This record gives sequence, structure tokens and C-alpha cells, in this order.
Amino acid sequence: MTEIDFAFPLANGLHARPASLLRDACRPFDAVVVLRNRRRRRSANAASVLELVASATLHNDPCLLTISGRQEKEAAAALRHFVKHGLPHADDGAPPLPVTAPPGAAAVLPPVFPALGGRCLRGLSFSLGSGRGRALRLGGRRSLPKRFAAGKSDSRAERRLFENACRQVEAALGKLAERSAGKEGAAILKAQLAILSDPGFRGEIASLISRGKMPAGAAIEKTAARYAIVLRASASAYLRERAGDLDDIAAQLADRLYGPARRNAAPGGRGPLVVAASSLSPAELLACDRSRLRGLLLGRVGFTSHTAILARSLAIPAVALPPTTLARIPDGAEVIVDGRRGLAIVSPGTELKRYYRLEEESAGKRRQRLARRNQRPAATRDKVRVEIAANIAGPAELDIAWRSGAEGVGLFRSEFLFLDRAAPPGEEEQYAAYFQAAQSAGDRRIIFRTLDIGGDKPLPYLGLPREENPFLGCRAVRFYSGHADLIRCQLRALLRATALSGRLRVMVPMVTTVEEVRLARRLLSEAVSELSARKAAVPGHIELGIMVETPAAALALDGLAREAGFFSIGSNDLLQYTMAVDRGNAALAGLYDPLHPAFLRLLQQAATQARQAKRWLGICGEMAGDSELLPLLAGIGFDELSMAPALVPAARERLAQLDSNECRALLRRALRAEDAGAARALLREFNGRGGDAGVVAAELVRLGSKSRTPSEAIKELCDMLELEGRVGDSALLEEAVWKREETYATDLGLGFALPHGKSDTVRSASVAFLRPARPMHWSGKGSPPVQGVLLIAIPAAARGEEHLRLIARLSRRLMHEEFRAALLAARDAAVVVSLVNGCLRSAI
Amino acid sequence: MKIVAVTACPTGIAHTYMAAEQLEKTARKLGHDIRVETQGSMGIENRLAAADIRSADAVIFAADIAVQDGERFAGMRIVETSVQEAIKHPEALFGRLEK
Repeated sequence: MTEIDFAFPLANGLHARPASLLRDACRPFDAVVVLRNRRRRRSANAASVLELVASATLHNDPCLLTISGRQEKEAAAALRHFVKHGLPHADDGAPPLPVTAPPGAAAVLPPVFPALGGRCLRGLSFSLGSGRGRALRLGGRRSLPKRFAAGKSDSRAERRLFENACRQVEAALGKLAERSAGKEGAAILKAQLAILSDPGFRGEIASLISRGKMPAGAAIEKTAARYAIVLRASASAYLRERAGDLDDIAAQLADRLYGPARRNAAPGGRGPLVVAASSLSPAELLACDRSRLRGLLLGRVGFTSHTAILARSLAIPAVALPPTTLARIPDGAEVIVDGRRGLAIVSPGTELKRYYRLEEESAGKRRQRLARRNQRPAATRDKVRVEIAANIAGPAELDIAWRSGAEGVGLFRSEFLFLDRAAPPGEEEQYAAYFQAAQSAGDRRIIFRTLDIGGDKPLPYLGLPREENPFLGCRAVRFYSGHADLIRCQLRALLRATALSGRLRVMVPMVTTVEEVRLARRLLSEAVSELSARKAAVPGHIELGIMVETPAAALALDGLAREAGFFSIGSNDLLQYTMAVDRGNAALAGLYDPLHPAFLRLLQQAATQARQAKRWLGICGEMAGDSELLPLLAGIGFDELSMAPALVPAARERLAQLDSNECRALLRRALRAEDAGAARALLREFNGRGGDAGVVAAELVRLGSKSRTPSEAIKELCDMLELEGRVGDSALLEEAVWKREETYATDLGLGFALPHGKSDTVRSASVAFLRPARPMHWSGKGSPPVQGVLLIAIPAAARGEEHLRLIARLSRRLMHEEFRAALLAARDAAVVVSLVNGCLRSAI
Repeated sequence: MKIVAVTACPTGIAHTYMAAEQLEKTARKLGHDIRVETQGSMGIENRLAAADIRSADAVIFAADIAVQDGERFAGMRIVETSVQEAIKHPEALFGRLEK
């Protein structure tokens, strides 16, 4: 019996995705693998995803894998590798959950909203956006009919009924998965299918029917309930929400056994719909007519439930309401679902509908702007180009990468093809995967890394010797000479796969000497000759680069540059070798710090050498995706930063705010810092500084606005600020402004209103101006008409005295008739901007 | 008349300064001598010195929140009003001083 000890590495705990990866890792071997969670004192058979999930294993729980059986040794080698290298990345590439702050109970809504609690119902948002439609109420799920719930039964007939129901549900989910276009939908249905075929789940039901003489329905209910209880007791919200998957499957099985329990979610008729139900399974959601579905109002749903994840990936606005509140939504009533504020509004009036039309227009503009930004090359504010690319572990992740705005692939890991199998993949199998990737990339840069495996990531078929200290042993390029055939095969597949696109960029891991680069070059030219002999096409341009993962490579980069065409820093290993710390060792986590001056100096030296040798330099370790560190990386002057796809949008956004000269100045100071703490303080101070964009810009001025009411005007101004990236969430600013407006209205009888608010969501002190096409009454019908609305937004912790000074002067200037007249007469936005900016210069 | 004034509003963003401007403008128009201290987002500006306060004939507090360091004005005649009154009806406010 072999045992592997480890601390569970994933923040979300052992949920369905890593559990199925673990099961898959065990599958090829004839061995019994048991996972024991030592903290919970609970064991699970690794063949059962459900049992694994039910072990309720959380981040850092001490775990033990016990392996026995005929292929114990092989399985142990594969699992040791999986635990160290596969498992920690099981959640990479998972889309990050958008964090929406649920509005506090005291939230202030614009006056256009009806009073909370009446027709305006408050819940929790789990998918953003807003939509309007007729409510379609689906009834509650049935509890099991009494006569099925107890008593002895004909166990053979019940077994047959159960097996039939399983087959029918499997077929239905399979069909739905095929039809559903989105990958997310298919993956979720697959996860549910996995429950159905889980030996733990199915075996227990079968045994309750056969040995416990239970009717099928009761056995299903009991088993689902048993696992659900374990999951619901978990300390991880994520695991608790997995209980919903069990309920879904149990309900679907019950439907097959006893007939459908409730209305179809895809009724006849036309017109937009809002589905209201106490619960909704992913399958039911996918079965809805999406061209008509505008929103979801659900009772029991968690933020990470599969239905919620699916709603977000399909961009369907969704709000969870308490059951008693949900019951107040009449079937067929018109409803607005506001996933941003967590509201459901029943029978909205005309003004509110207008307000939400504005909301939808703004959302459309935001989407366009994001798309436009992703079309533009990533660069600093002063137009220094830095490519933002993605690290991926297989062609399946390419779509996510492009959608996130990645401009290329800085690291294509090829290990996925080689792991968890008994023999290496052939040239054709590799070709298919690389070709798919090259085609998907088109003109975008894609860098393939050759096999990065060795003593620490053993492959049974390589027969590498066991080493005392695998991280300092025969890793990556160091075993290439002994396995030239394997590497040439990979290179042939890469060459063929990129022949059509005309350019191959291939990168060799763990290089320390020039000799190793020469070896790689020799293998590459042999692969080319082999293909030429076969009359197979190869790309016209072939670039060979290396990963800089050892201090040796970083310090002697100039020599390596004679043989290598480009470089990419593998910062994870480079840092580990620089600091002599295993990054998995939690006790030493404090030492594993990329801000250590030694490490920054090493990066800086490598970059200087690369520049002198006129070589392209990227970075593809975890450090590259840390937006906090981005100013330093921009200061060092990398050509490319490559990161997990989910981190790409934030990196592009942050990069566009930075000035390359300021970043270089920051780097110079950080390089002289005495330790990582001092460097971090410098960085914090730098990151805390707002950009020095002015308080106003032409994009923040709208003349001849269609807004008719203060609610609309304030919304329009807040949305403008959000669109320009000066405000994180315009709804929160609106709230702050209306809260201020409640103390007393900000129109002061001068034809102007001056709404203002202070909020965390404001990124830099800003002023937005709007002139309505028709003057509006600000504080009631009798109030003097307002012709100009000037909105001031200030960060909660206001920094940058200069901006506040300008706003103070602007407020003073507004007391002067000539200034107000000039604002009202301004013929275009530029005039308004210069009038506002002029306040700073004018002496008061 | 020689007047000193303090303006202060809850957020300190706009009305503190609007009121200060309005008081200064109106005082000029009515031929008074005025010094206005603002207590807003920029902190205390144009802080009134003890000598200014002592030599003043009257004090105006145009404030929606408590005035900071109010003890400086102990024993003085203080006319208190809201920021919005100071902005909307400044002349009426000065009229109250004359009484």
C-alpha cells in the first residue's frame, strides 16, 4: 500500500471539477484509491466523484491518498504528480465570479422607483444586467407521493424502473448538452451526468432497492438526501451549493418515475418572459426559449450553483428572492429583473420603464467599449506596447482566452497530452491538438512549450530514475538527450501543425546552458529533415526560444541569446530557485516573494541583456498576472505578459492607466529597496495614487440630453462616468448621490442642480455635465426649472487635493451669473471642458 | 460692518464653497468687510485668527454640521443659518445682522 500526504491546494475546496479530475487520474490504473480527509476523519473512494465531494474537503485540509492493487506503483507515480502539478491548477481558467455587492438594507433608490417592499422587491443578485417580461411561474417541486415513500416493494420491478429512469435522464441530458451551444452549459450538464453514473450514488440506490426493499423513488430520495446533508453541512459555500445538483438529478429521476411534476418552462405564445420558480435546474434553464427569456427570479439558489453559473454565462439577469417574497409575484404580471441592484419590480410604471431603457442602452455601450478596447493593442497610457497574452493548458481553453481579450498565447503547455496514460501520444494525436490551437490563433502569437516533465512529474512510460531531489534533478530539457525520439516526435507534430499558418514559435523549458539550446536546435533541424524526407510541409519561419527559469539562465542570458531567438521568464521556478524555497511549502510562504530586491534585480538584469541582444522577452509565471505588480513589470520593459485568461481584462485595464516613465522611476526605487517589505510599500504608494486625468473630459459632457427627470439625469451622468472608467459601479454612485439629495435638494434656484456624492466606487474625482433638451423640475412641480446639471463624484477616501481644490473653485464660480450663463450657452463639449478647467486658473 | 463667517456642509464638496462665495459676493455688494472660513473637503481654509474674530462686529455660521473649534467665537454675537439659506437668500441674512 502506498500513501501520499498532501494539504488540499484549492481555495474552493474539493468540488465537482477537481473531484472528477482526481477520478480521471485514477482511472487508467488497476488500483483502489481512497482519499482520507484527516481533519474531517472521512474517507472517500476516488472512483466516486460524489463520495469525494462529500468528503467536504476544504482548502489546506490535511489529506491522505491510499493506493493499493495490481498497478499500485504506476498509479502512485501518476497521482503523486497529479497532486503536485495537476490538482493545484484544477480551477485555472475557471471564469472568475463577478463580485456584486448586494445593496445594503439602507440603500437609497432614485425616486423613480416605487417604495421598497410594495411592488419593488429586494433580493440578492446572482447574474448582472436587467430585463423585463411577463412572469411565468413554475410550480414547486413535488415531494414524493406517500404511497411510493414507504412499504415493501417488488425489488426487481423497482430496480428496472430505476434503471429505466436513469437511462431516460441520461439520454435527455446528453441530448440537451449536444444542443446547447455554450461550453459552460455542456460542462454543467456533464457534471450532472457524472452524478447519475457515480458508483457511490447509483450503487447506494440500487442496494437500498434490492436489500432494503425500498421503492425506487424512496431510495433515490434517501440517497440524494444523505449526500445533500453532508454537502449542506460543509463549511464551504461552494460545496453547500453542490447539494442543488443532487436535488436536480433526484427530481429528474422522480419525474421519469412518476410523471412531470410541474409546468414546462418553455410555454407557447410570444413575448418576453421572466421565469419565477422556487428552484430551477440547469437542464430546465437550458430548455427555456432563450430568445424570450429576459430574467430569472428564483427562490433557493446560491451564487455558485450551476444554475447561477449558467445564468451568468448566458448573460440572463437573475435575482434570488426569499420564498415569501417570491410568492408575491403574480403569474403573468409584467416584471423587471434588475440583477445589478438585486431587485424585482412588479408592474413597473412608464417612467421606470424609461429608466430601464436607459440602463439597457448604457449596458450596450459598456459592452461595445469593452469589445473596442479588446480590439486595440494593449499599451500603457503613453502608448508603449506590451502584449497581454494567456497561459493555457490545451486547445479547449483558447476560446476563453480570446474572449477575455488575450492578444496571443504566451505559454501553451503541452503536458496535458502526456499525462495520465500508459504510453506517450503519437505524432497524429499531438498534431490534431496543435493544429486546432494554431488555427484558432490565426495571426496571433502562440508560443508552444515542449514537454516540461521530469523527476518531479514522472511519466511511467519514460522510466526516469527516482531522484532524491527532483526539483534539482533531471527535469524538462535535461532528459531530452535521453529521449530524443519523444521530443522529435513532438517537434514534428508542431512543425506540421503550424505549416499552414507559416510560423512556429517553440520554447524549451528549464534551460541553464548554451549546450542545451544547441541540443534543442539540433532536434528541431532533425525533425525538419525528417518531415522534408516525408515531403511534409513545414512553416517558413521557425523560432526557437527558451524559458528563463533558473538564475543561471537569467544571469547568462547574453550567451544564450546567441542560440535562442526569444525568451520568456518562468517566474514561478525562477523565484523558487532564487530564494531556495519550495513554493508549495506553506511554512515558508513568506520567503516566496517576487518583490525581494534580489529577484527584481535578476529580472532587471535579464531584461537589460535581452534588450542589448535585441531579443524579445516575455514573462509567463504567476507574477505576470498580478495587476498589483504590473507597474514594476512595465518598468522592467517586458514585451509580453502572459497569464491565466481570467486575469487578462484587469491587466489590460491597469496597463492603460500606467505611464512607462513613472513605472521605470518606480522600478529604480524598488531595486534599491532594502527588502521585499520596503518594495511593497513603494508599490502600494504608487498603486494608491490616482491617475492624473483631469476632473472633466468631453466624454463627460452631454448637451441636449433626453433626460426628463432628476432620476434620469443623475442616472445618465453616473453611467457616463462608469463608461469612462472613472466609476466602478454607477448604481452605487447613484445611491450615494440620492442619499445626499435626501438631506436637501441640490438645485438652489439658479437654474442649476449640483448633485454630488462620495463613494468607494469612484476611482478619481470627476465632474460630469448635462444640459437637458427641456428644462426639468428638480424638487417638485413648483421648483424653478433646471437647465444645467453638474454632477460631482468624489472617492470615499479622497486623495489628490488638487482635484478637490478645482471642485471647490468650480462650486464658487457657479455662484456667478456669467459663469452659469457661459455653461448654458456653450456650443459644444470642448467649451464646457475649458470653462471647468478654467476655474483652477482663475483667481477667485 | 466687519463680519467673520464660517461655512460647512455635510459632504464638504460643493455647498461649503458656494455659500462662502455667496457671502463674500453679497458683502462686497452691500459694502461690508468680510472674511469667510471654509470647513470642507479641503479641511479648514482661510482659518480665522483670534485677532480677526475679536475685531469683528458680527459672526455668521452658515453650517449644516457643527462648526469646528467653535469656542473661538465665545462671547461673540453669532447669527446661525443653514448653508442653503446663505446661498438662496444672502441679503436677508445680512439684514438679520443689522438688527
